[in-house]
Amino acid sequence: MGHKDVKKYILHCSIFMLVCFLCLFGYIVYLQVIAAPALAANPMNRRGDAALDIIRGTILDINGRELAKSTQPGERSYPYGEVMAPVTGYLGEAIGSDGIEAVAGSDLTGQSQQLQMLGPICQAIQSTHGNNVKLTVDADIQQLAYDALGSNRGAVVVMNAETGAIIAMVSKPTFNPTNVEDDWKSLTAREDSPLLNRAAQGLYPPGSTIKVLIADAALDEKVTDLNEKFNCSGKLQIGNEYIGESHGAVHGNNLTLKDALTESCNVTFGTLAMRMHGKGLENAFDRFGFADPINSEFNESRCHLPKFNELGDGDTAQVGIGQGETLVTPLRMAMLASAYVNHGKVMVPYLVEEVISPVGLVIRKASPSKWREVTSEKRANIIGGFMENVVTNGTGGAAAVSGVRVIGKTGTAENSQGADHGWFIGAAELPQGKIAFCIIVENSGGGGTVAAPIARQIIAALRDR
Amino acid sequence: MKSKSLLLVAVDFLIMFAGLGVIMLNQYPEIDFSPVPWALGAAVMGVAIQLFLIKGRFSSDIWVFPMVLFFSSLGIIMLARLKPILCVPQLRWLMIGMAVMVGVLYFSRQLKDMMQYQYILGICTLVVLCLSLIFGVEIGGSKNWLVFGPFSVQPSEFGKILLVLFLAAFLSDHRDMLNEAKRRILFLDLPPIRFIAPLLVIWGIAILMFVVQRDLGSALLFFCMAVFMTYMGTGSKSYVFIALLFFGVGAVISYALFSHVQVRFNIWLDPWADPAGQAYQVVQSLFAFAAGGVWGTGFTHGHPGLIPEVHTDFIFSAVAEELGLLGCTVIMMVYVLFFYRGIMIAMNCKKELHTLVAAGFSIALFTQAFIIIAGVTKFLPLTGITLPFISYGGSSMVSGFVMIGLLLSLSKKEKVHGA
Repeated sequence: MGHKDVKKYILHCSIFMLVCFLCLFGYIVYLQVIAAPALAANPMNRRGDAALDIIRGTILDINGRELAKSTQPGERSYPYGEVMAPVTGYLGEAIGSDGIEAVAGSDLTGQSQQLQMLGPICQAIQSTHGNNVKLTVDADIQQLAYDALGSNRGAVVVMNAETGAIIAMVSKPTFNPTNVEDDWKSLTAREDSPLLNRAAQGLYPPGSTIKVLIADAALDEKVTDLNEKFNCSGKLQIGNEYIGESHGAVHGNNLTLKDALTESCNVTFGTLAMRMHGKGLENAFDRFGFADPINSEFNESRCHLPKFNELGDGDTAQVGIGQGETLVTPLRMAMLASAYVNHGKVMVPYLVEEVISPVGLVIRKASPSKWREVTSEKRANIIGGFMENVVTNGTGGAAAVSGVRVIGKTGTAENSQGADHGWFIGAAELPQGKIAFCIIVENSGGGGTVAAPIARQIIAALRDR
Repeated sequence: MKSKSLLLVAVDFLIMFAGLGVIMLNQYPEIDFSPVPWALGAAVMGVAIQLFLIKGRFSSDIWVFPMVLFFSSLGIIMLARLKPILCVPQLRWLMIGMAVMVGVLYFSRQLKDMMQYQYILGICTLVVLCLSLIFGVEIGGSKNWLVFGPFSVQPSEFGKILLVLFLAAFLSDHRDMLNEAKRRILFLDLPPIRFIAPLLVIWGIAILMFVVQRDLGSALLFFCMAVFMTYMGTGSKSYVFIALLFFGVGAVISYALFSHVQVRFNIWLDPWADPAGQAYQVVQSLFAFAAGGVWGTGFTHGHPGLIPEVHTDFIFSAVAEELGLLGCTVIMMVYVLFFYRGIMIAMNCKKELHTLVAAGFSIALFTQAFIIIAGVTKFLPLTGITLPFISYGGSSMVSGFVMIGLLLSLSKKEKVHGA
């Protein structure tokens, strides 16, 4: 053992540390090259919003009206204020961003991922203006739906059934995006959650609107057919519990499936749900996409489905009438309705129609795409016909508009917050295209009396264009 | 050849002035000229010291100092950009550090003599580390500061120097006994307890720092240094094994007992569990690396301010964001070159003691850089510690320059007396 050995051991240690350092370097290369795009896209990453030296682009509606604009860096105004808040979202230095301000943040600041790859060179060619973003939303329809909700809490979604383009997305109560940073504390503390975009994030029991899906599923699982006659005594006894009809109605015997949907017969749909058992119901909710997220421009809440195979008979029957643990968003219910005028197909919903450069060049244009085929065309026509009957002869009469084929389904959802929520989901075939919609008015009572008239106003306004 | 090293010093200060220039132009029309005289002073001093080193009276190495100046210049422009208020103090610390280094070189003969007093060094190490254990004041989450009126000092920074000196002296003196008077227990070769007692004490203190002061970074560094030094001095794998066992047991126990250790470890395992809360700093740091990409966003064009405490422990993340992978690569390469020069100095020492001291300092600074870079990138759990010569910090800067001074003085080729 001598000085020479010490040098040998020093060499061992040095090589060890150099190898560690090399591994670290390899990891940094991975971090900055391979993992970078995913990290940059992380919603927690506020670097996109922090681009303070850039005049943010304008958000426009489908007709070119300004929904959000900036005249200088760091300043932002929202001409439609509260009406458009669920669509535009907000933007704040300390609070981050939401809505289109978040989803299209890198477009609005003009800092594309490709441009950022160029590093310092990007600073030289960086425009002082961000890109403008044109949305699919129609400000007139949005305003109309907003006014129609009145002082009620609730949400309205109107979409193009054939493309998935969102025409209106209203949520009430809401906030003024201009002052959101100043009001942040009070807004987040309020019990009626004004920052929640009820259209995409509000979770509600679907009530009778889910019977559309149940009817579809019952035919699919072959637990009934179009000729079966149901008998409604006003009460469905399941062990010690029972499901009753609203307002104590008795629908009598000789009810076909069509009649049961038209009259929204709880006894029939509770029976059908029990016939399908958990498995059949689970398949149906899966088929309609309630279990999967839409990878799209919405910060949507995941729908809440019960563990179907663990449900007892009573809870299974509750699923059939849209009560119990099932919670859905209005956006999903509008998508469900859209399948019945679009040959059983549901499109990917979207908000951004075009991204336009400051000099007017269209950088990106939306291309509608099919999300999934939820049901067959044949069955879509059958159920669509039933839903038409709901409007012409049943509970949804208030939504009828002359000269337009309107289909729909009402719902009245019992909930823990007080009076029932009124639902109306449906679709309309207008000369310029097919639309689907979903309206929910919180704690308003029956969907046929409160929600359906809002649908009529929207359809009539679109017809008269 | 020798005078070409001046060119490197010139490049270092060119980086500093270019960076400060960019920042001042950004401030237009209200330019803050206050760092300029300090920067000029530092530049003059740097050039003068390099000329003095080239003459070779106290040192034979002319490459280490320009590399240290490179780190310092980069640190200063990053500070000027991140925390302008700390730019002038950091320049002042740089000048003090350089002056201290010259002082160390000047008294190198006496200091080399003192290196042999192992027990005095051992006691000093203990005292310095215990000072902060007992009188430590908490600043920024770690209770490892001593406050003297307007000054606050981190004794652990100076403890590092003493630790290397003590272990080098102890190991070079006792090596024969440590290696020969062995008893075999299981598969481990162990000397009598009185010989490894000092090592156990050092490891124990490292664990105490870990627990009492919450200074995980220093604890880890001390521990690594002790292990490296022991292995370099004895070549005994048994010691390394015992040390790792010691570390493993200590880590498990402190994980079980102390919530701050659990928090650090859980953040490392899954920062996305609480990205807005406890893991905020690390997550923001990862975002900074991602934002930088290969080329970086460009100096002053990133948003490193989103990372809390970016100017001390997280300065490397700011570099990664604004100068990109290119900047990271350059800095890491210079650390490697610096390490290489340090090890070369060690290899060329005639005395075993000097070899161990030089290798100890080199590996200490290199390991320190590794620990903090690994921490901010989530390669290892984050343990707060400065990036040598780049992060803001007076104690760290001055102690760094003391080590450089000793390292340079050990590079001086001299005739061996005795030994």
